[in-house]
Amino acid sequence: MNKEYIHIILADDDEDDRLFFTDAFSELKISTKVSTFNDGVELMNYLNDSESVLPNILFLDLNMPKKNGIECLHEIKSNSRFDDIAIAIYSTSSSEEDIEETFVLGANIYIKKPSDFASLKKILSDVISINWQYHTSGLNKDNFLLRL
Amino acid sequence: MKFAGFLQKPLALKILFVISIAVIFFISGITYKHLSKLSDSSEEVTRTHEVSLQLERLLSQIRDAETATRGYIITRDSSYLKPYTLAPIRIDAAISIVDHLSKQNDNIPLLRKLIDNKLRIMGKSIELTNTNKTAELRLNLLKGKQTMDSIRFCVASMSELETKILSIRQEKYNNTFSNTPILIYITILIGLILSVVSFVKISRDLNELKKTNNQLSIANESSNMAEMVGNFGSWQWEIEKDHYRFSDNQYRLLGCEPQSFEANFDNLMKYIHPDDLEHVQHVMSRMIQNEKLPSFNYRIIKEDGEIRYFRGIGKLITNKSGDKILLGTTSDITEEYNIMQETEERNRELERSNKELMAFNYVASHDLQEPLRKIQTFISRLNDNEAANLSDTGNDYLKRIIVAADRMRNLIDDLLQFSRSNKTEKNFETTDLNQLLENAKLEVSPTIEEKNAVIISEKLPELNVIPFQIQQLFTNLISNSLKYSKENVAPEIYIKVSETNAADETQLPSSAKDKYYRITFRDNGIGFEQEYAEKIFILFNRLHNKNEYAGTGIGLAICRKIVENHKGYIFAKGEPNIGATFTVYLPLE
Repeated sequence: MNKEYIHIILADDDEDDRLFFTDAFSELKISTKVSTFNDGVELMNYLNDSESVLPNILFLDLNMPKKNGIECLHEIKSNSRFDDIAIAIYSTSSSEEDIEETFVLGANIYIKKPSDFASLKKILSDVISINWQYHTSGLNKDNFLLRL
Repeated sequence: MKFAGFLQKPLALKILFVISIAVIFFISGITYKHLSKLSDSSEEVTRTHEVSLQLERLLSQIRDAETATRGYIITRDSSYLKPYTLAPIRIDAAISIVDHLSKQNDNIPLLRKLIDNKLRIMGKSIELTNTNKTAELRLNLLKGKQTMDSIRFCVASMSELETKILSIRQEKYNNTFSNTPILIYITILIGLILSVVSFVKISRDLNELKKTNNQLSIANESSNMAEMVGNFGSWQWEIEKDHYRFSDNQYRLLGCEPQSFEANFDNLMKYIHPDDLEHVQHVMSRMIQNEKLPSFNYRIIKEDGEIRYFRGIGKLITNKSGDKILLGTTSDITEEYNIMQETEERNRELERSNKELMAFNYVASHDLQEPLRKIQTFISRLNDNEAANLSDTGNDYLKRIIVAADRMRNLIDDLLQFSRSNKTEKNFETTDLNQLLENAKLEVSPTIEEKNAVIISEKLPELNVIPFQIQQLFTNLISNSLKYSKENVAPEIYIKVSETNAADETQLPSSAKDKYYRITFRDNGIGFEQEYAEKIFILFNRLHNKNEYAGTGIGLAICRKIVENHKGYIFAKGEPNIGATFTVYLPLE
């Protein structure tokens, strides 16, 4: 993370959510580069392209058409090229099953989409300021779900 | 006692029988020997008598000859001489008989010599008579008399000896057989005793047999009755003899009169549903090989055409005689089968509705939340960025929209929680309730700080619970107390715990278990009228207007659900303006 900016990718099929996401980062005034993808297929096409710049943090929605977040997570975790990408699950659902499954698959943090903009900003600013190496080594099921 | 026990055995009877037979043989032997001796001895007596008789006859022949000689001497009539001429032959015959019968051969030659002498003397007398030599005759006669005396003496001594021998034999015989009657008597006595013992044993055995027979017939009758009540029948198949026996109820199950057709394989197979025939025959042939098999189901067609479901079970046994017998029972499970079908159908329905519920859960958790979340986010952005551009009325409306959207969010969250507490899978683990209470306090810590609330709790036990549910229970109870606190009074919540016997707790129903932990949450809040104590646990039931106190009316319903999941009880007690007490009973085990 010693680059000038943090490269962030969001894969989410919902246009409004992509808007909130990019708006939040533009308001946060942190030097970030945010790219968004509309579904899992688009995302994986980008990541698998060897010329693509890999993100520092990937925000992954679970419920997407064509290829859902769980499938993407599978593919990313089975490719060592993506080992340095921190993966944040970014979902409306907070069901035990989803949290359990993504934790087991090796996601780094689970974010339940907040319902007001201020909270969203806070969450995103918290997430990008996490020291991922430190966070990942002490990761367990209790601190996996991000609580505010 | 040992002997009596010995008599109980069938072997005893055989031994007694053998002994009795031996006794009879023994008696027969003794009697035979005795009788043959007896006959010997009587022969002996006859012989002695015969000897005496012959000796007598001998003497009388000589005397006859003497008389004849004397008659001739006196009369000189030769016709008197006839007995004399016959005498030698007769005497010879008599002597040879005596010689044959008597054992005293020593005296016979002497006797014969004496008799020959006598006869010669007689012949000389006759001769002297013819020549008239009187003096010589006299002398000869005297000589004849002397010889005669000698003969008499000899005969007498022979007779005497014979008698003596007889008496010796008699005595010897008597000596030998004087013990025989006692021996026979004793043997017969033993034989009698043995026979009596055998008789007693046989009659006792017969009684036992009769008793056993009675019990057997009672058992038979009761098994018949059991079959009728239990709706099952039984059958036996002696495999080697290919002999079948069906119980009365087996016939009734098939819709027939008991024993109305011959019990055999083909007749039974006639009632089996054609589609199941192969299966039944296959199972029966496997039973013969495997001795025991799990039960098998099949259909039969009753006499009146009704199709019934049967369950059969068979077992191969070998009796004491080594015969292989296949024993089986058949029960009519048509009702069970129908109920099972119904249950399965209901289960399928339940599964279906469960799946629908799960689908609803997902809709509620995801699809409903998503638009709401976006509405709220847009409102928050509107509120943040555009509030200044709105009129006062607009701002008022905006605030009302925010409140309504919040309420909708709460409703959805609570509903989700309620349906989650309904989940079928329940993972119990031994948990420290103190930790769960701490977590619960943490969850509501903002409100605790905001209201300056005080929570004082005793040390809680470790208990086998569903951890997240109990934490939810604590959270809901505490937040309930915090929510309904008095204005301007810092909320105080006292949590107490104690072990208790169900019998001592009047609120608990009689069906309750023995021992419980009783955990009470008492607060100093606004309380409630006791008449609503039951109502507050019902879903969506609220005692207050939602403008006064925020709430969905789901929290306490969740509490009750959770406590029920743990086979416990929850009760509320309230006094307006004093406070409320919630009592939770959780079973010890």
